Formats: sequence, structure tokens, C-alpha cells
Amino acid sequence: MRLDGSSDHPLTVEDERTPKLLLIDDSMDIHRLLKVRLKDERLELISCDNGAEGLEHARRHAPDLILLDLNMPGMDGFEVLQRLKSADDTVGIPVIVLSGSDEVNDKVRGLELGAVDYICKPFDVAELRARVRSAMRISHLMDLLARRAQIDGLTGLWNRQFFDERLAGELAASSRDGSSLSLVLCDLDHFKSLNDQFGHAAGDDVLQAFAKILQRNLRRSDFACRYGGEEFALILPGTDSRQAMGLLERIRDEINRHAWPRHPKRGITVSFGVCDRARDGGFDPVQWIETADSALYAAKHNGRDQIQLAGGAPRSASLPQAG
Amino acid sequence: MAQEPNADPVRSEFSDDPDMRELVEVFVDEMPDRIEAIQNTWSEQDLEGLRQIAHQLKGASGGYGFSPLGDVAMELEYSIRETAEIDEIRQHVDELVDMCNRVSL
Repeated sequence: MRLDGSSDHPLTVEDERTPKLLLIDDSMDIHRLLKVRLKDERLELISCDNGAEGLEHARRHAPDLILLDLNMPGMDGFEVLQRLKSADDTVGIPVIVLSGSDEVNDKVRGLELGAVDYICKPFDVAELRARVRSAMRISHLMDLLARRAQIDGLTGLWNRQFFDERLAGELAASSRDGSSLSLVLCDLDHFKSLNDQFGHAAGDDVLQAFAKILQRNLRRSDFACRYGGEEFALILPGTDSRQAMGLLERIRDEINRHAWPRHPKRGITVSFGVCDRARDGGFDPVQWIETADSALYAAKHNGRDQIQLAGGAPRSASLPQAG
Repeated sequence: MAQEPNADPVRSEFSDDPDMRELVEVFVDEMPDRIEAIQNTWSEQDLEGLRQIAHQLKGASGGYGFSPLGDVAMELEYSIRETAEIDEIRQHVDELVDMCNRVSL
């Protein structure tokens, strides 16, 4: 479950990359045999012959599945499994034990330590392939479920729950490594009156169109979230307020120029409040949200359709004081 | 030694599988090294080393299409693990070396 550092876009549910399989086994024969026997499986095979290296590969490559031998010199398979399952970045990787031992005790211990399956050597090739496929299928579905629970159904953006966790995580990372970070709160202007006048379907269209504009303009490392109702939140790691302003200008411009078939004469504008590291010394998520929210309130108060930096002067008020 | 009790070659189930042929060849070509390793560990009474070799052969032989070889290796691994009489272990070593010698494409 890649819910940690990576920021795969929530909408790209179908992953087109080749799944990676990490084989940790000290027997050269097993590496050779699997390389041939799995060659038609659309898998990238990563090989290593000892536990310590296996852990390193698991962290670096984030494989989709690990085949793990038990009986290895040095760190044995049980210890590797235990370590994989106690580290945040590897705990979600499914592991199949591939062992020369058919002892019930070993099977039970492997499964209780968190392996999803246990295959005895010598193995039947067809069975091994079927078990590998089955493990990948289940792991893919679990990934999907975990993501679904964090995605807003209407817009396909991350939801509020994800936002809360992610913001705390990014603030912690930023405080650790001193990297820049910006938080943006956006609110569609006069959204209620649009809904009242043109109906909720029109309102939904606007929310979806704005979500698409956000996705088009953000980098893969950014997070666009639906914060609630017509309010959106953007987490922009490695971005200072000056870079954020440039990005938001583009977004503001795109939404202003967007054509609306359901209400051609009624344009849509958005107000933005920005907070960044330089403006808020602390790393408390609640404090950051309040600071960004104050900036958003100032943007609304100053006439909407503009970007307001926390503690700074309003920007891009094309219709100043327009209410 | 000309009169082996059984000199029939042990052939791979996969010798006609084009995907596997090359691998089986490598396995057969490397067999003298494995036999040497078995004999060395045995003459040094390195039973743990011998058990490891038998363990790996047990796991891999079937994959190359030599299931009977895997069975003999398993007998040897178990006899060491169960600390059988040295004569019994010797018998399994002899059987394994004999079978290894007969492995062919």
C-alpha cells in the first residue's frame, strides 16, 4: 500500500508500469529457474542472494511482491520477514515464502509473521505462477481499496481525511529537512448562487472542471484535495510562496477563461489563500490551516478572484472591491 | 568401478522444452563441481555444509526436471538433520553422488 511518501495521482488507478518481483534466495538455481519460468508473466525480476541485500532492495525498489527463501546463511528468511513487516516503507509489500522446508512449524511461523502465502520447494511451476498471480491480484485490490477510501467521489481528488494526514506528514518532513512547503486554500466564488440559479448538476460540473484544471497544473509531487463543499486545498511540497503564486496565477487564468455550456454568460472565479514556511514559523497543521484560511478570507473580503498571501498584499484583483 | 550397479542415465523431463533446454545443460555441465563439493564436505565431515548442498539440490532438482535426484538429496538432508548413524548418511551420500553422475540431458 503506497500511502506513504509517493504521490501517485488518485485518478491514475490503472497502473501501466511493469510490476516488480523481488526474489531473495541464496540458491543460484532458483534464480535461474524463475527467470525462465516467469519470463512470460509481465514482471520485472529483481534478484538477490542474501537477506541484508534483500531488505535494501525492498526499500529501494518498492517491489509489488517478494519471494523469500527461509534457509539462508547470515540473516535467515524469518528475520528478513520480521524486518520487512516492522518498517513503514515495506510493511505493505506482500511476501510469499519459498522454502525447502515443508515443516508445519515453519509454515505457521511464516504466515504469522505476515507472509501471504507459503510455497514448498521443489515447487510445481504452474502452481507457483498461479500463486504469484493471485498474490499480486489481492495486493492490487487492497491498494485500490485503500486509495478509494481517500478519494473524493465527485472530483477524483484526494479527500479531507487524506489531506489531514498528508499535511501533518509534509509539515514533519519540511521541519526535518528544511525544505520549502506551501499550503493553499481555494474557494469557488458565489458558488451557492450558481447552484440556486442553474441547479446542482451545473454546480457539480464546475467542481469537476476546477478539479481537472488543478490536476493539469500540479506536479506529481503536489496534492490536490477537496476540502469540503466548494473548498479545495493544495499541498505543495518543495514550493515557496513565490513559486506558488505563479502556479495559482495560471490556475486562476484558466478557470476565468473556461467556457461553461450550461451557463455561457456566467463565468466562474476562484479566491485563493496561500501560506508558506516563511510566513508561519511553526509546524502545527491546525495553525497552518488557520493562517491560509485567514488569507483566503482576505481574498474574499478584497473582492474575490484573487490570490492572497498570508500577511502580504493582495494580488491579481482584476475586479477590485467587486463584492 | 566399471560395474556400476546402475549406469542408466537420468534424463530431464524438460529436455524437449526449448525454454528449459539451455538451463538444463548448464545444470548438467556444472554437475562435476557439485559432486566435488559433496565429496569435499563429506571427507571433511562438514555435515552442515553437506546438508546445505543437499537442501539446495532438493529444492532445485525438480525445477530442472530431475525429480528423482531431488528425492535422493532429500533423503540425505533428512538423515543429517535427524542425526542418523554415520553409515546411513554415508549410504545416502553414495546414492546422491551416483545419481549426480548419471544426470544427463
